[in-house]
Amino acid sequence: MLIIVLLASTLSVSAILGLYIARMISYELQPLEKRLAKLERKLNKTLGLGAGHEMTWKEYFIALVLTNFIAAAFVFILLVLQGIMPFGKEGFSIDLAFSTAASLITNTDIQHYAGEQLSPFSQMLAITYVMFVAPASGICAAFAFIRAFIRKNFGLGNFYMDFARVILTLLLPIALISSVLFMALGVPQTLDASVTAKTLEGNEQIIATGPVASLESIKHLGSNGGGFFEANSAHPFENPNGLTNLYSMVLMLVIPLAFPIAYGRLLGRGRGVSILITLLLGFGALLVLALSAESGPSGLETRFGNFGSIIFNVVSISTNTGTVNAPLSAMSPNAISSLLLAMFIQAVPGADGTGIMYIVIYIILTLFIVGLMVGKTPEFMSMKISPRDIKLAVLIFIIHPILILVPSVIAFTTGNAQALIGNKITPLSFTKVFYEYTSAAANNGSDYFGVLANTPFWNNSTALVMLLGRYVPIALMLAIAGSFTVKERKEIVEPIKTQGAIFIITILVVTFLLTVLTFFPFLAIGPWSL
Amino acid sequence: MKENVLLQSVAKLDPRYLAKNNLVMLMVEIGFAIVLTTALFPLIPAEFIRRGSSFYLQLAIILIATVWFATFSEAVAEYQAKARVDFLRTLEREVLARKMVDGKEVIVKSSMLKPGDEVTVYSGEIIPVDGLVSKGVAFVDQSMITGESNPVVKEKNGHVMGGTRVATDKLVIEITAEAGKSFLDQMVGLIESATRPKTKNEIALMTLLSGLSVIFITVVGSLLFFAHFLGYDVDIAMLIALLVALLPTTIGGLLPAIGVAGITRLGKDNIIAKSGKGIEAAGDCDVLVLDKTGTITEGCRGAIQFIPMQNYTEGDVGQAAYAGSIHDNTHEGKSIIALAEEKGFIPPLVEKMLVAKQIEFSAETRFSGIEFVARKRARVEKSVPTVAETGASKVAKMLLDLDKADKEIRILKGSIDAMLKMVKDVNEAELRFKAQEISLNQGTPLIIAINKEVIGLVFLKDSLKKNIREKINEIKATGITTVMITGDNSVTAQVIAKEANIDQSIAEAVPADKLKKVEEEQSKGHVVGMVGDGTNDAPALAKADIGLAMNSGTAAAKEAANMIDLDSDPSKILHVVKLGKQKLMTRGAITTFSITNDIAKYFTILPAIFVNDSPIFAALNVMQLSTETAVLSTLIFNAIVIPLLIPLALKGIKFASESPQRTFIKNMLIYGIGGTILPFIAIKGIDVLLSALV
Repeated sequence: MLIIVLLASTLSVSAILGLYIARMISYELQPLEKRLAKLERKLNKTLGLGAGHEMTWKEYFIALVLTNFIAAAFVFILLVLQGIMPFGKEGFSIDLAFSTAASLITNTDIQHYAGEQLSPFSQMLAITYVMFVAPASGICAAFAFIRAFIRKNFGLGNFYMDFARVILTLLLPIALISSVLFMALGVPQTLDASVTAKTLEGNEQIIATGPVASLESIKHLGSNGGGFFEANSAHPFENPNGLTNLYSMVLMLVIPLAFPIAYGRLLGRGRGVSILITLLLGFGALLVLALSAESGPSGLETRFGNFGSIIFNVVSISTNTGTVNAPLSAMSPNAISSLLLAMFIQAVPGADGTGIMYIVIYIILTLFIVGLMVGKTPEFMSMKISPRDIKLAVLIFIIHPILILVPSVIAFTTGNAQALIGNKITPLSFTKVFYEYTSAAANNGSDYFGVLANTPFWNNSTALVMLLGRYVPIALMLAIAGSFTVKERKEIVEPIKTQGAIFIITILVVTFLLTVLTFFPFLAIGPWSL
Repeated sequence: MKENVLLQSVAKLDPRYLAKNNLVMLMVEIGFAIVLTTALFPLIPAEFIRRGSSFYLQLAIILIATVWFATFSEAVAEYQAKARVDFLRTLEREVLARKMVDGKEVIVKSSMLKPGDEVTVYSGEIIPVDGLVSKGVAFVDQSMITGESNPVVKEKNGHVMGGTRVATDKLVIEITAEAGKSFLDQMVGLIESATRPKTKNEIALMTLLSGLSVIFITVVGSLLFFAHFLGYDVDIAMLIALLVALLPTTIGGLLPAIGVAGITRLGKDNIIAKSGKGIEAAGDCDVLVLDKTGTITEGCRGAIQFIPMQNYTEGDVGQAAYAGSIHDNTHEGKSIIALAEEKGFIPPLVEKMLVAKQIEFSAETRFSGIEFVARKRARVEKSVPTVAETGASKVAKMLLDLDKADKEIRILKGSIDAMLKMVKDVNEAELRFKAQEISLNQGTPLIIAINKEVIGLVFLKDSLKKNIREKINEIKATGITTVMITGDNSVTAQVIAKEANIDQSIAEAVPADKLKKVEEEQSKGHVVGMVGDGTNDAPALAKADIGLAMNSGTAAAKEAANMIDLDSDPSKILHVVKLGKQKLMTRGAITTFSITNDIAKYFTILPAIFVNDSPIFAALNVMQLSTETAVLSTLIFNAIVIPLLIPLALKGIKFASESPQRTFIKNMLIYGIGGTILPFIAIKGIDVLLSALV
């Protein structure tokens, strides 16, 4: 029942949003937007910016990195200097600030700090602001990526223009409405850092609070996941009841599922719908795996229960949001395997923007492997797949296991893992370390350790993994976009249709096959041995 | 020669060679070196070695066998290719030639000949090097190259191949190719060069395989550490076994063989490939530009009927056509003469016509004929037949009148459009109607005119090649668009196109139209194949992705094309397309097979390695393999699958004419699902055998 309500509400919003996103990608303007565009031009003129010129993939990527760097540097400084800012709380150590800044800007939001460590000032200025910048960057990258396929030399667009439009006309309006909704549903929104309450015994208790609702909305909408409180969405202020739980899930799914619809609007309805079905089936498979064993009951929030907790966590982790409403330690081995799989794949449905890019890369790779079998140079939507495209796509898939496995090995060999989990290494402790880097590499954000991992080694290593796991694939994907945008398109029927049942099955099988082949031994020595 | 294959395959085990050509096999060989070292000199700390040295020796043997199977498959493919080329080369062996120096014959070696030299070849002698006939007419036996048993006539400007034998008479030949630089040598170079130029698809596939290898090395490498920290049994050799099992050894091992086999199979079809790229592009071909004449139709149009214009009779047309064809040595011309003779339509003034000036056919003007003025009246007067003698036909009278008046006589024949520009006062409607009648009956109308007066039409009929419709249908089923180019009028073109089931036809085309069409299709992103033989085809052949030149064609055409058909059968392009597709399909199928094989391997090797460490591994041992032999069984399967697939790699997987989508589903089922299931069964089988032996 919950699933039906969730899917129905998400898909109907996604459909509307998808068509809107398609118009954003193809610059098609409706009357109201025309007025906005006029305003934008005026604003650009007064700021002396001029209309954004078409960027090459390199320019686009550099603009993205530059914008992200400035935002991250701002967060970094703010966190280090938190002590001397208004509403002061203790400042962050350099490595924790580095980890936090990297974590936020890469849309990961692994928290080696407790949300309570942030002052409301940092929370609102640093965290909430970067939580817009990070997903907007991912979405912009996807815009450029999709534009490459529309038609030859359509151009990839201008990052700054996309960036401003995504924040102002996509994320901000939805986040605003959602904040109000969350407040109405009982999530607090105040600038006071805490309230004092009288307990039943008559003692005074200080309860931390703050501008929670505004954070919640963008936390979910933007695949972010960084909680206001350490307990994240298990905390009764962040996620007080079933309705907020449901609405949080809708927010997490809505943009990732809107992208296939936008894709379909621009590149053929059948193709978009096929990708959407692929994502839903993949997501369904993960959910079935997670539910195949009973999780909990200890550690689960009684207000959500086994089903409510698992579905929330699967939604959150498969969209690379990473927020949880029940701790990972309460999850069954099957549920953990499912969450890990979601992070290995990163594409069912994946994070805002990057999710659609990953699935398209999977499609290109699949078409190459099986496409030779029809006796032609493999094509993607009637565009030839060149050796360079394959090289870039393969790199995207090499980098992910390397970013997970190599740091894990280093963590063990240097003894830093043992420092955290004890000298007796068990499948569980292995899983925890492995999960940490998987989450970092996938820019997910969920983890077992939380504040425990606030040591220089863990802060620095995860920060590096997050940065590489974010920007290297985006660079490679944009490079692929750069290659496809200048390709010739044929006017004939594709030898292998990029839509329909056969296509969906093939993509799903190859995607899961490649992933499982890569990570099978680690699932076996990790969660399956629990 | 068999020893040569063995020798070659062993020589290819050289790691330096593998580093350049086969990275996957290089990794297996490195694994072999490590395992062998462990077996002989236990250098590795004891905590990483769990089994006796005999196990490591067995493992080492299987590993090196895996590499050897791969190099063996490559050596076999190269052997086959070389055998074919060596055979073709015997035809090019050094012979003595009679070079013409200042009008005298000088005996020289064929290797000393340069383009431009003239040689005389007598009956029974071998033609030393490719060339053009400059004098003489003779039958030439080309069976050693083309397999065609009937000797063919070679006349002036005919192309002759080095290695063929003059069967009758003698020929004077102008050498066009330098010895050792013929197209055959290009093909030999293609096979023999140690580092064959790789095609784009090959490079992309290699990249993918290397990527997979890197992933599996990372996976197995880190597994070593994790297992160690978890306190599990870790055995270096076992992990190497796991790595080798996971590496895409099957496709990695067979990839070079598949590449070479493509060239051999072309060679068997008597097609010389000048580059591997051309063959592969053939697989991508989705537009075929075909010449009507020679490719779709037999190419020898024959006259079957004379159709007069109003005011004239059949005899008039026959006489005029005879006159106009008197110098025409083409099949068409000869057939007109034959038909006219058969019907008794001989024109007057034949002697004068025989010495008349010939108007040669050119692709631009598209008409031919004769032109003469009877000046030497005195000498020929006696033989001038009277009107009565020739049956008083209108044309005979006209010719004799013109002759008497000492006026110029021009008898022309040509296509309707070409001729309409040349004639006056013609009933165009009648002419067009009659021409259309012919076209509708699959014929080509030829207009005959004397001095701007249209006499009538010749019905030329060209029959479709045998089985051409079936061949075209086969090709079309795989999604290729066929375009027919012809100089015929659009009605004839359409009739023939319909008859042969061709998609598009371009009628009344001049040679430049071919290039235009090729470029037009390419600009739409299509991969275009075309066949040609004339010099004016050369630009289009060069531009086309697959250019197949006829061996009977001009040197320019052969130079421009990337493949040459020794049999000069244009419809062979359909063959080439099939072959190119097969080559790609074979690669794709074995890659898919190789990757899906890996699933089973996790279920055989992982349990054997970690069975004592975690209960999950006992559960993973779904096939209940003996832990003693599971690893060896898996690796034996892994190795043996390579030689078992050599025939498939060399012959290519079956090609059926069906839509790509169907081919895709079929191959996915065979090589995808099959590749998943087969190793489970095969490894279990090998394991049962091994356990029985141990």
